Amino acid sequence: MYMKLFNKVTDMIEELIEVQRLVEDIYLESSESEQIWLESGQEFSKTIDIAKWAKDRYNRNVEDSQGDPGKEFAFMYQIVKKEHLNPTVGKMVVEAPLIAKKAEPGQFIIFRAKEDSERIPLTIADYDREAGTITIIYQIVGAGTMELDSLNEGECIHDFVGPLGTASHLDGLKKVAVVGGGVGCAIAYPVAKKLHELGAEVHAIVGFRNKDLVILEDEFKAVSDKLCMMTDDGSYGEKGVVTAALEKLINDGNQYDEVIAIGPLIMMKFVCQLTKKYNIKTVVSMNPIMIDGTGMCGGCRLTVGGETKFACVDGPDFDGHLVDFDEAMHRGTMYRDFEQHAREAECNLLKKEVK
Amino acid sequence: MAFQRNMDLKKCPMPSQDPNVRNHNFDEVALGYTYDMAVSEARRCLNCKNKPCVSACPVAIDIPAFIERVTNEDMEGAFEIISRSSSLPAVCGRVCPQENQCEGKCVRGIKGEPVGIGRLERFVADWHREHSKEAPKMPVQNGHKVAIIGAGPSGLTAAGDLAKMGYKVTVFEALHLAGGVLVYGIPEFRLPKAIVQQEIDNLKAIGVDIETNMVIGKILTIDELFEMGYEAIFVGSGAGLPRFMGIPGESLKGVYSANEYLTRINLMKAYRPDSHTPIKHSKNVAVVGGGNVAMDAARCAKRMGAENVYIVYRRGMEELPARKEEVEHAMEEGIIFKTLTNPVEVLGDADGMVRGMKCVEMELGEPDASGRRRPIVKEGSEFELECDTMIMSIGTSPNPLIRSTTPGLDANKHGCIITEEETGLTSRKGVYAGGDAVTGAATVILAIGAGKQAAKAIDEYIKSK
Repeated sequence: MYMKLFNKVTDMIEELIEVQRLVEDIYLESSESEQIWLESGQEFSKTIDIAKWAKDRYNRNVEDSQGDPGKEFAFMYQIVKKEHLNPTVGKMVVEAPLIAKKAEPGQFIIFRAKEDSERIPLTIADYDREAGTITIIYQIVGAGTMELDSLNEGECIHDFVGPLGTASHLDGLKKVAVVGGGVGCAIAYPVAKKLHELGAEVHAIVGFRNKDLVILEDEFKAVSDKLCMMTDDGSYGEKGVVTAALEKLINDGNQYDEVIAIGPLIMMKFVCQLTKKYNIKTVVSMNPIMIDGTGMCGGCRLTVGGETKFACVDGPDFDGHLVDFDEAMHRGTMYRDFEQHAREAECNLLKKEVK
Repeated sequence: MAFQRNMDLKKCPMPSQDPNVRNHNFDEVALGYTYDMAVSEARRCLNCKNKPCVSACPVAIDIPAFIERVTNEDMEGAFEIISRSSSLPAVCGRVCPQENQCEGKCVRGIKGEPVGIGRLERFVADWHREHSKEAPKMPVQNGHKVAIIGAGPSGLTAAGDLAKMGYKVTVFEALHLAGGVLVYGIPEFRLPKAIVQQEIDNLKAIGVDIETNMVIGKILTIDELFEMGYEAIFVGSGAGLPRFMGIPGESLKGVYSANEYLTRINLMKAYRPDSHTPIKHSKNVAVVGGGNVAMDAARCAKRMGAENVYIVYRRGMEELPARKEEVEHAMEEGIIFKTLTNPVEVLGDADGMVRGMKCVEMELGEPDASGRRRPIVKEGSEFELECDTMIMSIGTSPNPLIRSTTPGLDANKHGCIITEEETGLTSRKGVYAGGDAVTGAATVILAIGAGKQAAKAIDEYIKSK
């Protein structure tokens, strides 16, 4: 009996020695700044030294790239996962730990797919603070989003800045209708999710042109108490527009603290016209043309309640009943011809069919 | 005296591209003095005792001393003297408003033209860049960390000075490229971006880390930077949101802020045919405002192919706040000055595009608080100016991101961060600020001066801790 116990203990000691050896190996392989985290055991936010972290990543990348020029700089925003939600909408999970730590629903990032690409704002579709990732959902509309879409898992986005803009104010809401249209659902989803987490009753109304374009259905189901799926042609869910579904819910006696509408400008405009009739506060998320996104260029200005506001710092969320939608729609078409042209050029370049 | 003093009443003229060639390209306008021109111009300096030029320089460069080195053809020595006071001489030689500073006080200017101090500064800096083989030396580290917010002129200056003192400096820049207004604002033809890049590379060589795509106030706050071990922070976040006039029609398509127009062209390279960032190619462009930014925007518009470019300014030619040289260059390039004119409405067509603007003529009345004569509307003077693009260049208000996310950081009613004049210290311990974030839109050299002062104050603060 005693010998048996003695052998058991010896085995365990041997196993522990093996574990210790493994830990030491991991420690030796790790970077300098990772070692600091390992040693101090402190919280990430207290000890992270970006400069050092970036430099370690850079050095590792230089080793990994093995003389492949340009690779060594691609150390920041690696695409961890990429998938297509429908033929023109893609989803990417991007490694950006500092942004992931701070991101809130309603905020956005600006990316440049490659050096010399355009700066394009995209609302954050999801974030994972633990994994240090940001999820973006994009519709392929022009050269910039095409370039983004040409990047694959493991590759890096050249620039990725955020979190920009002010977060949606969701605290204290008890019952909310979240209205999403098309790719706008990608922005509506994190809002619905956060509201659900905060314990609010969420009614989600999502609209798409047809069945093939439907995205995030399961995700919405998981975070809403009621989901109305609408398609323009009736090929999925109910046939009709989101405003019809919203009006029906209101007429059924649902009293909403707030309606949050995110989608094409024309959809948001009609949702606001409807809710104004019923006097329900409505928040919309504006997505105007933008360059720097930090309050410098003034390109993203819009008129809200007769005042000039800047979507990048004052928004992107605004009181829908005060937004001048017609003006915003006009301004959004400023570069339509250029975009069209650039998209065709990019399609030729990539030998793809213009969609 | 070892040399013959040059008593020519006029400055040695600056070789520059022909106006009708350069207004179609983005290459640098002024080509710079040759070696002989620089030596000859330097010999115009009287090396006078009371040196009024030095007192008129925001960073007090020992001007007669560096010019004397040039006369002795000791260019490296001249550079050494300038770089004691200014961290970005190649930039300042090109963009400083010398006529209101050093050259404005030059004794030679009393009778004839002042010494071309700016041109000489530029020559010395360029000569050093082209001839110096010496790699910048890595300073001995003192183990203290300082964070700089914004990689514009004030931030880069503070970073350079602190790094030379041995501090570990990290510069956080919101855009994807360091340089601030030097890269997004001032156009290539006035300040080649390769020069800015060289200055930034020099900073990196002495150990300054530049982290782009970092919007402080959003991704990290000032307080988090302190938690990360930075002992002092310099805020040089620059000018922010553009101002508009608040007249009808400013949201029409074709109305740009100068910031947007210049950022598209300079930072995003929209002037190149292969750029992915669009810009409107217009026929008639009206730029509202009379400062350097307005001149830059107007001259860019001309280079983008516009037939008629107007500067619309509510005061007279005398009152234009832009550098004299920029106004002269703009006129040479065919920019039309509509002074004593003020827009009252932007007119649009059925598609919501700008088609013109309604203006009134102005006349000058009594001087106002700023000492400039107040413009008054002339009765019944309304007229329409045809244009398809309008660029608003009437100033900016400081960027709100830092002050709105930093508790205890005081700002005035315009949103400018309040600082102690001598040190740049803000209402928060260990937080310093300078440049446009403090002054509102001003000049590169004032920002450099503020960066230098703050670097000195930060050094004293950390040493006294």
